[in-house]
Parts: sequence; C-alpha cells; structure tokens
Amino acid sequence: MTGTSMSRSVSVFPEIVRVTMRQMLGRRRTLLLLLLAALPPLLALIFRAAGQIEVGTFTLRVFDVVSMTIVLPLAAVLFGTGAFGAEQDDGTILYLLAKPVRRWVIVLAKAFAAATLTVAMTVASVVLAGVIVLLPAGGNGASATEAYVGAMVVGSLCYVALFLALSLFTRRALVIGIGYTLVWEGALSSLLPGIANLSIRQYALGVADGIFQLHSVPSRLPPTTAVILAVILVAVAFVISTWRLMRFELSGGSD
Amino acid sequence: MTVEPQVANSFAPTAGPAIELVNAARWYGNVVAVNDISFALGPGVTGLLGPNGAGKTTLLHMLAGFLAPSAGTVHVLGRSPNSDPSVYRQIGLVPERESVYSFLNGYEYVRFNARLQGMPNADSAARSAIERVGLGDAADRPIGTYSKGMRQRVKVAGALVHDPQVLLLDEPFNGMDPRQRLAMMDLLGQMASAGRTILFSSHILEEVERVGTDILVMVAGRLAASGDFRAIRALMTDRPHSITIHSSDDRKLATTLMADPSVFAVELGQNALSVRTAHLSAFRQMIAETSRRADVRLMEVVPADESLESVFDYLVRR
Repeated sequence: MTGTSMSRSVSVFPEIVRVTMRQMLGRRRTLLLLLLAALPPLLALIFRAAGQIEVGTFTLRVFDVVSMTIVLPLAAVLFGTGAFGAEQDDGTILYLLAKPVRRWVIVLAKAFAAATLTVAMTVASVVLAGVIVLLPAGGNGASATEAYVGAMVVGSLCYVALFLALSLFTRRALVIGIGYTLVWEGALSSLLPGIANLSIRQYALGVADGIFQLHSVPSRLPPTTAVILAVILVAVAFVISTWRLMRFELSGGSD
Repeated sequence: MTVEPQVANSFAPTAGPAIELVNAARWYGNVVAVNDISFALGPGVTGLLGPNGAGKTTLLHMLAGFLAPSAGTVHVLGRSPNSDPSVYRQIGLVPERESVYSFLNGYEYVRFNARLQGMPNADSAARSAIERVGLGDAADRPIGTYSKGMRQRVKVAGALVHDPQVLLLDEPFNGMDPRQRLAMMDLLGQMASAGRTILFSSHILEEVERVGTDILVMVAGRLAASGDFRAIRALMTDRPHSITIHSSDDRKLATTLMADPSVFAVELGQNALSVRTAHLSAFRQMIAETSRRADVRLMEVVPADESLESVFDYLVRR
C-alpha cells in the first residue's frame, strides 16, 4: 500500500466508525440492550442487600448465567449483525461501497465500531456489578471481576467478528446468531466437552481463567489455547468478511 | 429496424469512452435482466429509457460495480468498477432507493461522502455541493425530516461532491417538484457542458427530452436503440413521418402533393394540412419546389411526430 492510500485509509476509518456508531446507537434495540446490561448491577444490589456477597456464588449465578450467557452474546449479535445489516436492508450500503475505500478498511471500521460498543456495554455491566458486590468481598472479588472483564473483551471481539461475517452472507443473521448463542453456546458447549474448541464462550472463559482461576465456573480450555483459537477465529472472520464485501452484489431485480 | 450500438455522445477522440459495455449481459438464474448490450458513452447527458422491468436499474448497477456481468465486459474510465474500487474516485452514484442515512443532517451526509472520497477540503466541498442542489437552508436538519424531493437532492449532492467524471443517476427526479426538477436539469446540463459523462434513467420522457437528446432505450433487457433520438427517428423508415403544413392554400397544395410518390397520405384539416411520408429528407426538398410551382405560399412546415415520445413508443411497441 502506498503512503497516500495508507493516509486515506487512516482518515476514512474514524469517519466510518463514527457514522456506524451513531447508526447503531440510534436504534431502539440499543435501549433494550442497555436495560439488559443493567441486569447484573441490579442483581448485585439485590445480592448485597441480601448479604450474599460470596464470590463463587455471585460469579456462577450472575456473571456466568446472566453476563456470559445472555448479555454478552445478545449485545454482540445485535451490534455485530447490525454493523452492516441495517445498511444492507435499506440499501444505504451503496453509499459506503461506491467509494474508493479498500474493503478491508470498511470491514475493520465496522467491526471496530461494533466491538467497541459491545465491549463498552458488557465491561461496564460487569465492572459495575463487581464494584457493588465483589469488591467489598475482598481480594478474590476484584480478581474475579478482572477475570470476567477479560472474558467480556475476548468474547465481544470473537462474537462480533463471527456475527459481522454472518451478516454479510445472510439476511437472517440476527435470528441465526441468537439461535447459535442460545443452543450452541448456551447449552451444547456446556454439556458436551468435545465442542469446547468451537465455542466462543469457552475461549472467553479460558482467557478469564488465565487472569484468575475461576473455580466456580471451570473453563474447558487452557488460557493459551483459548487465546490462540480466539485470534484464529477473529482473523478468519475478518478475511472472510473482506472477501465477501469485495464480491458484494445487490440482490436481484429485473429493472 | 436495427440501430447499431454506437457512441451516443461526442467526446474527445484522443480519450477512450468514459463508459463502455461490450456484449454485457446479466442474468439471475433463468431470468435475463440485461441481454448482450454494447454501447459507449462520452461526455454529455444521456437518458436511459425503458418501460418498467426493462433492465435499466440492473444496467446502472452493473456500471456502478454492484453487479458483475454474467457475460461480456463493463468498463468505466477504462476500469472494471466491479473489481477496482479506485474507479469510484471518478464516479458519482445516485441510486433509486430513497433511503439515506436519516440520522445525519444533510451537511454531515455530504461531508461523509467527501471524506470517504479522501477530499482534503471535505467541509467546504460539502457546503458547496449542498448549495448547488439548493439545500443550503436545510443543510443542518436531519435527513429523516426531509421530503422525498429533498432526499433526492441530498443524494445528488453526495454524488457530485467530489466532482466526478462520471455520474450515474437512477430516476433522479423522483419526488421533486417542477421547480426542483428544472434546477436539477440545469445542474446536469452544466456538468455535461463541463465535460462530465452523465447517464440517468427515467421513465418520464419529458425529463429526458428536456435534459438532452441522447438516449439509450432498453426493452426487455436489450438495447433497442442508442444515440440522438431525432437521428433514431430518421432511421425509422418503416414508419411514415407525419408533417403538419400551414399554407396560403391548403386545398391546392394537397392536390399537388397527392401526385408525389414520396407522399403516403394527405389529410385536409380545418386550418392545416397533414401529410405522411416515408422519406423525410426527400419530402423536405420536394415541398419547397412543389409549393412554388403551385404558387402556394408555405407558412409553416412542422414534423408532427419527431418527439421523443413518438420514438419511444415506436421502439417499445414494435
């Protein structure tokens, strides 16, 4: 890439990120997600009021069941599929693609916007809940919170990369994504140890385990393996998304 | 009648055509949307005409690089827009779909286009483009509050903000009121005069006729004709030309004209004479001499069916 085209890519990147974020934040579903993300801090308040501030119990019942299984996948599927999805639905993607911008730059900017929103929402939710109930519990509480922050970051990047790629192949990416998170990630990956290598939830838990040993929610992958698999997933999804966008075609029509 | 594909506009002979299709086709499964089309366009305004379902939008999407040709080649400024995004630096696109980023205001939307084009002076270019389409007063309003005509105009502003060599517009006048249409037509005319190549689709013949004389007519996925519509009309030899004549003595002139072999039919109206002929140029030469010999003074000789509508109607129905 020449210096000129590199500087052009650098200048268009924040522009695409800005517009994508405004687009996604303006949707009603983002408000619903905010309400969902507020659930762990609310539960933390309840736990604290009830005097149940045992680290293992809280991480298992709230961070694992609510944050990892519901908030993270749903936020990632909505932002990940929404980065391109709405523009494909209403045709405004043409305004983006009819520009002399390399397709990988567009994919990277869209993924960055979706991942930033997902990370911000899920990490804020975990940190807030941790501050309310785990930090007062002492040393392990802070470490457990840090571990789940790591899990949210890794999980957000992987889920967003996967769902963004999916949205470039099908208009039903949202439905398929929700189905995947509920059935595959929510149920099968916990029940069947053999598919841990194909579970983003397990990648995230593996990384969390590397930060702090979560005895209550044991991961099925060693941290190093989890990081390697997560990196491979993100890289493959990025390459596939770019390839797909380079071959973007409008759906049929006779006029 | 066969009208061979040709360069519809004049352009500098040293430069290649801005738009060139060679045996281009596009099909979806068993449906052929664009069938073996060849033409080349240089600077100027060309109207893309055709009934609904003729393949106009498919053709524009192929030119814009959003549909790869199933066969043949499509080149814009010598490059394939489907595989070389750098060509978009010289292409402005106004798609038919009404949707624009409704959460941005008009100025932000046009500036977004300018920045993605890598323009160093994106802010001032955006202001200038907004003014050119007459949206200066509404530039700071969200596009979501715009009328249909305003959205069309902001789309045009976004497409021309980087002063492209080639402008592709799909039904650009949709939703505009008559005053806005005239202003937009003037704008396209100015850009064409400045050497830009402009191709716009429309199903409203008056719009096309008003903007220019060069047309591409698509019927059922095929290119039925291309070029100056008046020249195309002249080639339609299997359809007699109608001519209306006002003279000092219509009855006498009618009698004289009936003896001429180039005249098919003569109809004497209340205030005018209507003549049908297969050979317009021969008739034009003959009428002056014939009227002089008959001692009839010609007040007016007007072709009655040389409108674009007449040409279009003929091409679509035949």
